[in-house]
Amino acid sequence: MMAETSVLRAAVVVAAAAVLEAVVGPFLAFGWISPKFVVIAVVFAVSGLRELQAVLLGFFGGTLVDALGGGLFGVGALGGLIAATLSMRVGAARLKNAQRFLLAQVAGVSVFAYDLISLTSLKLTTSTGPAVGEYIIGGALPDALLNVVLAYLLGGWLLNVVRSRETR
Amino acid sequence: MGHKRSGAASGLAALLILCVTSLTLFTIYVKEGSDGPLHTIQLGAAEVLQPMRSGVSTVASPLDSVRGRVEGAFKDDKTDELRLERRESDAAVAELSRLRRENERLREMVDGSRSTYEYGPLARVVAPVGDQFSERIRLNVGTREGIKPEMPVVVGDNLLVGRTMSVTENTSEVLLVTDPEFKAGVRIVPPDAIDPNTGELTAQETEEGVPFGQGLLGTTWESYLGIELVNLGDRAEKDDFVVTSGRAGDKELLYPPGLLVGKVESSTATDIDQFKKIVVTPAVKPEELEEVRVIVGW
Repeated sequence: MMAETSVLRAAVVVAAAAVLEAVVGPFLAFGWISPKFVVIAVVFAVSGLRELQAVLLGFFGGTLVDALGGGLFGVGALGGLIAATLSMRVGAARLKNAQRFLLAQVAGVSVFAYDLISLTSLKLTTSTGPAVGEYIIGGALPDALLNVVLAYLLGGWLLNVVRSRETR
Repeated sequence: MGHKRSGAASGLAALLILCVTSLTLFTIYVKEGSDGPLHTIQLGAAEVLQPMRSGVSTVASPLDSVRGRVEGAFKDDKTDELRLERRESDAAVAELSRLRRENERLREMVDGSRSTYEYGPLARVVAPVGDQFSERIRLNVGTREGIKPEMPVVVGDNLLVGRTMSVTENTSEVLLVTDPEFKAGVRIVPPDAIDPNTGELTAQETEEGVPFGQGLLGTTWESYLGIELVNLGDRAEKDDFVVTSGRAGDKELLYPPGLLVGKVESSTATDIDQFKKIVVTPAVKPEELEEVRVIVGW
């Protein structure tokens, strides 16, 4: 028996996470560190989907973040694509017992990549920004760690929500 | 097997296409103006989400005060006393500045002309906004209240906290003084150079003929508010007041002159630098902002 991910449920979870991030996220931010609800939701929601569905859902979630937030458009979309691609690869392994733990790590790596894309886009558009080393140590790494913990805590619940049917 | 391969191929193709789409969106966003379609989408979303953000802000505000009390419980009384004294002193400076403006206004009225600050209605801070690299807030006033982009935002009468950026019918986004993008021309004024009776500057230089420092205010990526381009020979000392000079680079009168930004925390100079390194303590902390006003005319 295997659980199957519902595309509709996954899309609803990602959309809800985007709204949550836009509304509540700014209140929970501490400097460069903040919860990335959409990245976490994308990672757990797309892990059981087919490749095309997964990348489309990642792009959808990222674009929602761009539209609802006030940041540079396109950065969230790229972040969502990275999260979906990494999650899809790990999800393909179907390691039932370790899946939550592995996906939490994928969320951390995705957040790290997302932060680096954000920094690159800032430097491309304004030619300014924090020093890369300083940002990695003081921003991207702690941000990734925070989101790994958050992803691990929320992961079980998210997997239950998006997986609807048991199939043989 | 073949079905799986074709699925992987279509997934890869979709990934590439969507990556290019994301980069295209990014390029369009950067190149389009603030009234472009992608900016308009963000403004529309801000308008739609405003009631939700407002609700979260209301819920979060008691938590902030509890957090403040808990933090206060671990600090000694002396620090609190000094902070209180500093706030009272800042309030006195603000009052002096207000008197100075009133004096100017009365003088101009006598001369037959009129010039004073015209404020928008009292605005509530709805929520912090923007990405991790920015310090911005959203207010619950917009074009309906006469707010436009590039207007100064103050606490009380003249404590500068930022300027408006994008504005919708009911909301406006404010770039705070502590955002690295924020720049403003400022003057560094010693406390004894302000006449306590009139609030006006009594001199433009010290008794020894040293001019008061002038420069460009901005927040560095090391997260301190500082003033750049202050000549080594100019006066700039600890506890001097920092007020807007009415200039910001090539944009003259982006801010009216005389708005208080804060106090000089430290001023250092080295032989190898052409300018002084000045750190400023802002008069108002961004996280303490609750209600502000926009100066809509001056």
